[in-house]
Parts: sequence; structure tokens; C-alpha cells
Amino acid sequence: MSDRDTILIIDDEPEIRRLVASALSVQGARVLQAQTAAEGIQIATAESPDLFVLDLGLPDKQGIDVCRELRRWSTAPIVVLSARHAELEKVALLQAGADDYVSKPFGMNELAARIAAQLRRARTPMRNAPSVLETGGLTIDLPRRTVRRGPKLIRLTPTEWSILRALAVNAGRPVTHQDLFDMVWGREFGSPSHYLRVYVTHLRRKIEQNPAEPRIILTEPGVGYRLDHEAR
Amino acid sequence: MRHVDRAQGRVIAQWVVWVAMLALSTAVLAGVRGDIEQSHVALTLLLVVLGGSAGGGRPLGYALAVFGFVLIDYFFQAPYGSLGVGKALDWVVLVAFLASAFVATELLARARGEAETARRRTEEVASLSRLGSETLRYARADDAIEALSALIRSTLSARWCTIRELPDSKSHRRWTSAVDADDDRAADRMRELDDRMTEAASASASAAADRIALATADGSIVIHSLSDDEVSSRIEAFGLPLFIESRLVGMLIVGGGTQAPLTFAPARRRFVATISYYASLGLERVRLEREAEEARELREANRAKDEVLAAVSHDLRTPLTTIKLLAQDAAARGDAAAASIEAHVDRLADLVTNVLDLSRIRAGGVPLDVALNTAEDVIAATVSRVHGVLRGRRIATTVDLDQPALVARFDFVQTLRILGNLVDNALRYSPEGGVVEIIATRDGQWVAIAVLDRGPGVLATERDRIFDAFYRPRSEVPDAGRAGLGLSIARRLAELQNGTVEYMARGGGGSVFTLRLPAEDLSSETFSDLAEPVREPERGTVPG
Repeated sequence: MSDRDTILIIDDEPEIRRLVASALSVQGARVLQAQTAAEGIQIATAESPDLFVLDLGLPDKQGIDVCRELRRWSTAPIVVLSARHAELEKVALLQAGADDYVSKPFGMNELAARIAAQLRRARTPMRNAPSVLETGGLTIDLPRRTVRRGPKLIRLTPTEWSILRALAVNAGRPVTHQDLFDMVWGREFGSPSHYLRVYVTHLRRKIEQNPAEPRIILTEPGVGYRLDHEAR
Repeated sequence: MRHVDRAQGRVIAQWVVWVAMLALSTAVLAGVRGDIEQSHVALTLLLVVLGGSAGGGRPLGYALAVFGFVLIDYFFQAPYGSLGVGKALDWVVLVAFLASAFVATELLARARGEAETARRRTEEVASLSRLGSETLRYARADDAIEALSALIRSTLSARWCTIRELPDSKSHRRWTSAVDADDDRAADRMRELDDRMTEAASASASAAADRIALATADGSIVIHSLSDDEVSSRIEAFGLPLFIESRLVGMLIVGGGTQAPLTFAPARRRFVATISYYASLGLERVRLEREAEEARELREANRAKDEVLAAVSHDLRTPLTTIKLLAQDAAARGDAAAASIEAHVDRLADLVTNVLDLSRIRAGGVPLDVALNTAEDVIAATVSRVHGVLRGRRIATTVDLDQPALVARFDFVQTLRILGNLVDNALRYSPEGGVVEIIATRDGQWVAIAVLDRGPGVLATERDRIFDAFYRPRSEVPDAGRAGLGLSIARRLAELQNGTVEYMARGGGGSVFTLRLPAEDLSSETFSDLAEPVREPERGTVPG
């Protein structure tokens, strides 16, 4: 987090708002607060924040609608605070434009880490740069279609490469099973969609240092997968 | 009573007509008696007797025969005009006439009786089929049984008919159809008989199914067997106990005839017994409908409970977040107690999740997304989830990476909950510095994921009970933060996915909890991409 970052917290719980705001301020961000969806959208249009922290239990509007509304004119990351554990809701939120979510009760460190990761990701947009991604000792060269661990080239099947690339261009953001499937197989007839998770397991065996404890391709239970662009 | 007069009138008319016919025939024949033989006269009069017995029955037939006998003797046998018999031949004619007339009358009467029985049978069959269609016609059991009672009453020409449940049954209702429904005294009498008969029948009916209660003309209630011939024929009411699978469920009571006093002729018994089956079925349908309604209400209440629980548990998470953030804030300021507060918040959040899960499992509302998944994926997710709560213990996982991935059909999220609970349990009972092992293997049709610890194990006497909700081993030191739900939830979630969770003692001390899930063999044809070697040499170097 740097001095440039403006973060807008939209949450109707004053204590949570205050505590999150003060923790983020300490780390150098400029923090704005709103207690309703309407107030949040009003502040957002005036200030164009770099990131939104959005509580789903707002009194005046469904969280998912707020996501959609913000997405109409802003590309800033949205981190959602959710009281539910329903995976379907997470999938719906990601589809509505949210970038990440934290389930209550969350710790400040967890939330701050997610926010920081989203801010860094937003600053290096993958779409614009012909990009080489380095993470967890792995070098993914998208234009050249190669993957290396150190100097060693790793041979992937076409399907495995498609999955890795789909995750890499969304690095740091959970990609739902459905989205991943669409990106890899498209509308191809008779595609083995139900083998997706098996493919990912095999991909991990090739690219992870310890496939039993993966650090690069992380599982988002019930939602999909996320490529950690800052794996150690 | 008017239709009774009409029937009598018909009989008198028949007598008048046939006696006149006899007189007329005699008069005509008497005019020409010089030209004809006695046998012609006898045959003609025999025709009249036959006609009379066909129209007026046995009494008229015999009467006409006797008249004819006298007339032949008086008008057609010499000496004419007296009752004396001259020649032997005259006797033959007279006796032959009388015998033929009697036999013909008797045969005709019998044929008429049989025709009458057949007609009544046909009527019975027709009304039984009406009963059948009435019971099916109504959407509600209540309406059906009401219609049934009305139909039984009209079929038996009774004044009233009641179908009732037993007084000690859950709803003890009755459905009555009565001619004089507005007559209070009749209604009181009806109720009184109804209750007395039910009481009498209940007392004796459990012994035999073919009992019938009769309210006799002198006002007493007697119990007979349906097959008993001694049943008195004139009764005020009769009551049949109704059975479903030899269980007494109610009574069918029929009272007072509308055309004549109620009779209980043997010929009608089979019909009445059949009718009672329909009444039994009607009662059973009412009971089933009531039970379905109760079940629906229960389900509704259960769903409401689940919704409340879900709402409460969601609402609880927000204040828990506030407390957790406050505790972290206090810890950052150097408050020593803050870490303990945070730990308790996490436990409370776990408990809320567990209670909600258990309620969902019980209500059958666990969302399942069963798909092809790999054991190593879910094990890795489990390990990363419990990393925060190791407290000095270690987790070691064993998955054979040189073998093809272990693929099974399961719901990833619920399986993560299962393994999370098993690992959490193993960590809790492991000694300081101990190792919890997770081993995945293929076991016949199963993919088996075993969680092993070196804790104290489970006493043989408690092995069946550790999977019960809220059960904590008696040997265990009480721990306020644990409700004993983890293993119960694990087993139930496994069963929902057609899997199992089982306990085994571990050799050398400790426990093994094994989760088994249905294994899946991938065909290499549909999955050619994976048929390649997992690690392939590239330019002479071997990666990994």
C-alpha cells in the first residue's frame, strides 16, 4: 500500500469500518468511509478510489447489485466482506465483478494482505503488456508459450498450457470453474469439462515444487482456482 | 306410507281383473257348452289361472285354480247347475285341471322369486360400483366419506348412516347422513345409539372381525356374528366395526328404514359386509390425508427452523468480526488477554458453522456439487486451511506422485469440511510435537484418505458413540469450547456423498480415521491429454 492508494470502505457497521480504516491508514492508504450503498456510490463517483472494500449486508441494496453498479464505470478492484459461507454466492459475486472476498469473521492481516495483492495486481494490468510472469520460482512467458523452472523448460500438453495461461492472465484473482472451462475449451462440442480438476492436478505435478502443498495454483473451494502471482 | 297403499292397490286390481276374466271366459264358454268338450274348457281356464299367477303371484294363482275347479264342475259337467260329479271321466278332468293349475302357479312363483333375487343382486352390484366411483370422485377424503355415508344410507333405504372414527383415536370424527337431519330428537337418539353400539362393538370386536351390533326393537344392544342365522330380522339400527389390516379403526352405523322397519335379512349380509370395506377405506384415506398434512406442517416448521438458524448464524458473524478486530487491535497495543479473546471468537465461529451444518444435514438441505475431483487437491486444501491451528504439531501427507492421480466422485467443499474435522480432531488429541499423517490410497472401489494420529486412541466401549452428535468421550477432560460435533458431521457428510468415515485403532497406539469415497477410473481414450508421461525429459535435463 502506498500514499497514492485511495480505499473506500462501504460497511454499515461503524466499529468494523473504524478498525479497518485505522489499520489501513497506518499502512499508508488514504481511507474513505460510507455506511450505505447510496453514500458509497456517491463518494466513489466523486473520488474514483483505487479499491473498494464492500460489505454484503448493507441495509439499502443487495451487495451483488452494488458490485454490478460499480463495475459499470470503474475497473478498481472490489474486495467483498461476506457473512455467508455459500460458495454459490462467491461465484455470483465474482461474475458480478468482485475481485476477491473475505469471509467473516476475518482477521485484519488476512484482509490487509488481500487488499495489498489486489492493489499490486491493479497496477500491473496483464492485458496490456506482452507479459512474462514470475512467481514461486516459475517463469511463465505468455507470448512465447513457455514455462520454466529456473533454466529448465517444463513441457506441458496443450490443455495444460491453456489452463495455466487462463489463470496467469487473471493472476491474483479467483477464476471460477465455469470461466476457466470457457476459456480453455470454449464452446467446443463434447469437451471433457468434468475432467478440469484432474487436469489441474496434473498441471500442478509439473509446475509445483511440492505438488502436495501447492503455492502457485491455489484451490478456491467450491469456486475455482487462483494463480498466486506473488508465490514464494 | 303412501307408496305402501299404492302397492296394495296394485294387488287388488290384479285380483279384480283376473277374477273378472275367469267369469267372462266361463260365461262365453257356457253359452256354447253343447258344442265343446270339457278339455277345451279346462285348457281355457288354465290359461286364465296362468295369467293370474303371473300378474298377482302365488295367492291369486291358487285362488283362480280353486274357482276354476268349482266352475267346471258347476257349469260344464252334467248335470249342469249342480256340484255333483257324474262320471269317472269328469273326475279325471277336474283333478287334471287342479294339478296343472297348482304346478304352473308354483313354477311361475319360483321363477318370479329368482328373477327378483337377480334384480336385487344387480342393484347391489350397481350401488357397489357407485360406492367405488363416489370414493374416487372427490379430491378431499372428507368429501368422499361424506358422499359415501349418504350413498350407503340411500342404498339401504335407511333413515340415517354414520361413519365414525373410534372415540380414542386422534381426531374421533363422525360423518352422518340423515333423512331427518333437522329433527333434534331423532339426532339425539341417533347419537345415543351410535355411542352405545360403538362401545359394545369396541369391547367385543377386537376378538372377531365379523361382528355386528344390533339395536333391537326392545332397545337393547346385542352383538352377533355376521354369519349367525339367529339374527332377529326387525331392528332399529345395526353397527359394523370397521377394520384396516385387522386393526379396529371405526364404525359404520345404519339406522331406521324409510320404506319399512330396517331388516337384516341373511341375503343382504354379504352386501352390507362389502359396503363396510368401502367405509373402512374412506376412514383410512382420511387418516392418510391427515398424516400427510401433519408431515407437511412438520417439514414447514423444520424449514423455518433452518432458516432462522441460518439467519442467526449469519447475523452472529458480523459482531464476531467486530470482536475479533477489536481483539487484534488490543493485541497490537500490548494487551496480553487479547490473543485468548481472538482464539475464542474463532471457536465460536466454528461452533456456529457446525450447528448450522448439523441442522442442514438433518433437514436434508446440504447443497452438493458432486464432481470428479482428485484426492491430492482436497488434501492440499485441507492442509493449507489448518496451518494456522497446528500449535506445535506437524502434518505429513503421503500421496504417491509417480502413480496417476487418485480420482473420485465427491463434493469438494463438503469433503474439505470432513477432512478439516478429522484433521482438527487428530491435532487436538496429538501430543505436543506429534505428527498427524494423511495418507491417500486406492482401496478397491474406493479412494481412501486416512488421517492418523498418535493420541490416546478411543476406548473400545466408546467406538460406536464417537460419531454421535454432541458426544464427547467420558475419558476426556471437559473443554467448554468443543461441542463434539466434528466427527458426527464428518460421517454424515461422507454418507451424503455415498462415502463412509470409519474408526480403527492404530497399531502402536493412536487412531486412524478413514474417509472412503467412490473411486473413478478415467478412460485414456476420452482423456488422451493425460496419457502422456507426467514428467518428460527436455533436452537431456529432467525437471523437478
